[in-house]
Amino acid sequence: MLEITSTPLVIIGILGTVGILLPIISIARKEQGSNTFYAIIAFAALIVSMGYVGYQFLEENVSPSALFAEDVVVDDAFGGFFAIAMLIVALFTTVGSFNYMRKHNSPAVYYSLILLATIGMVLVAYSTDLVMLFVAWELMSIPTYILVGFRKKNPSSNEAALKYFLFGALSSAIIVYGISLAYGLTGSTNIGEVIQGYSTLDPSMLPLALLSVGLFIAGFGFKMGLVPFHQWLPDTYEGAPAPITALLAAATKKAGFAATIRIVILGMVVLHLDWTLALGIIAVMTMTIGNIAAIMQKNISRMLAYSSIAHAGYILIGLAVAPHSSLGLQGSLYQIMNHAVMKGAAFIAIAGIVTTLAVTHIDKLKGLGRRMPVTALGLVIALFALAGVPPLSGFWSKLMLFGSALDAGTALWWAPWLAIAGVLNSALSLAYYGWLTRKMYFEGETEKRVIEPKSVMAIMIISTIFLVGFGVYPEPLIKFVELATPVLSLGSMP
Amino acid sequence: MTNELVDFTLVSIALLAIGIYGLAVKRNFIRMLFAVEIIINAANLNLVAFGRFIPDSGGQTLALFSIAIAAAEVAVGLSLIIVAYRMYQNVDIADFRSLKG
Repeated sequence: MLEITSTPLVIIGILGTVGILLPIISIARKEQGSNTFYAIIAFAALIVSMGYVGYQFLEENVSPSALFAEDVVVDDAFGGFFAIAMLIVALFTTVGSFNYMRKHNSPAVYYSLILLATIGMVLVAYSTDLVMLFVAWELMSIPTYILVGFRKKNPSSNEAALKYFLFGALSSAIIVYGISLAYGLTGSTNIGEVIQGYSTLDPSMLPLALLSVGLFIAGFGFKMGLVPFHQWLPDTYEGAPAPITALLAAATKKAGFAATIRIVILGMVVLHLDWTLALGIIAVMTMTIGNIAAIMQKNISRMLAYSSIAHAGYILIGLAVAPHSSLGLQGSLYQIMNHAVMKGAAFIAIAGIVTTLAVTHIDKLKGLGRRMPVTALGLVIALFALAGVPPLSGFWSKLMLFGSALDAGTALWWAPWLAIAGVLNSALSLAYYGWLTRKMYFEGETEKRVIEPKSVMAIMIISTIFLVGFGVYPEPLIKFVELATPVLSLGSMP
Repeated sequence: MTNELVDFTLVSIALLAIGIYGLAVKRNFIRMLFAVEIIINAANLNLVAFGRFIPDSGGQTLALFSIAIAAAEVAVGLSLIIVAYRMYQNVDIADFRSLKG
């Protein structure tokens, strides 16, 4: 039985209460404006939740990473790790929306939806029951459909929302179908019992079990933007309001990975199937297609959207080799935390540029280093961290991922090729990040400096401190990742 | 009147196939939404049938959750369609092409 002070319940309590109260307050006050007021309330709620997660970790009230539990949610280090990553992104989004929302109506609804979506993402990471997972998945998805279409008068925002909605609804339909098959085969919706049921399955039922795991990969893959399921992603990231793009790219994508680690990876292990090759092929395709398409883009949001697809591929390397190398899942989790900060910061920088200069075309970004020095510096640091340039934090996570692929080479002959593909892709991505940096710093005439939004500057400074700090001194973060990584062995079965 | 599990499963797989066909062929947004709903209902039928034959009440509980959530999802989807219709005077997905690259 879960205690009332356990982290997931407290987060639901805080964020849910504030998220529901915000629109009620706005109706009671009978006014539209005062974006500041609602932003500060939402910010405070997120900071308190984040503080509570951190407090639980420091007090060591968190159980070690257990992939299974009898309850529907479990208060373990794995969920806490994802909760921290998602709350960081939600904070970035809230602060980054501060200037962006000045021009838009109904701020109370906007911040309330961000908080509700955050509850959903955090619960996906904590849930150990398929029913809970599905409800949390929808709680995460439905608010983001509305947030993507929040600019009602803008055709591209509408189109982005429609495409995102269609693929999102399809992904949840596929997930329910997968859950229904898993339930029919094992007679339970608890993830631990499902995995145990799979390990003792009658061989004649194996195709159905395969189908259910495949449906889970497809359903979660839509949100993660893996390659056969990625078509909606660039359109949605381009058309959505820029702070919401940060939420989608850095947080909802991670929820997909959390769910995949909870279900698919163990399902693969107990079904004794060689899914690693399939996941490895998807990983290489995702990286390559993402990076090659990113080179050709002229719009900065779209370029980062494709680079976000490529990063899903890097993270998938760790999942693919997870059964054969203990470093695999650690590398994935490390990259997930870094990617949350890097992508969050990069898209918030774009939000700042869009609010101040109203440009997204890359040629119009000439001389950005002189017009908006702080934003440009934060963006460049985030981009180089994404490419994995030492000594930034992104370098260590990529090193761990590619190292895990080499480590698995003793069991899988093709695993080192994953590392080679990853290194080549990182070099490729450095080409377009470097090109963008050259445009921002070494081209253009002597433009005048404009006033940068203070909220965006604050995020740039925090993300730079995070990326450089943990790049120079990565031990604390690596320890945290090791604490959060679940042990993939059948001995941990219930 | 048969009462076998396999009949329910066959109907469910047929519904899944119809849903996927609808998504692949239709270009009207509302029809595509129908197709997605058909897939969700195929899963619900599976859940209720499995729950009866296992026997266990968990499947029916999940089916109820999934029906309620699907209703919320459709409400959001239709509101997005209404906003888009005001702008484009059309709900054909082929006409939405302001985003490209």
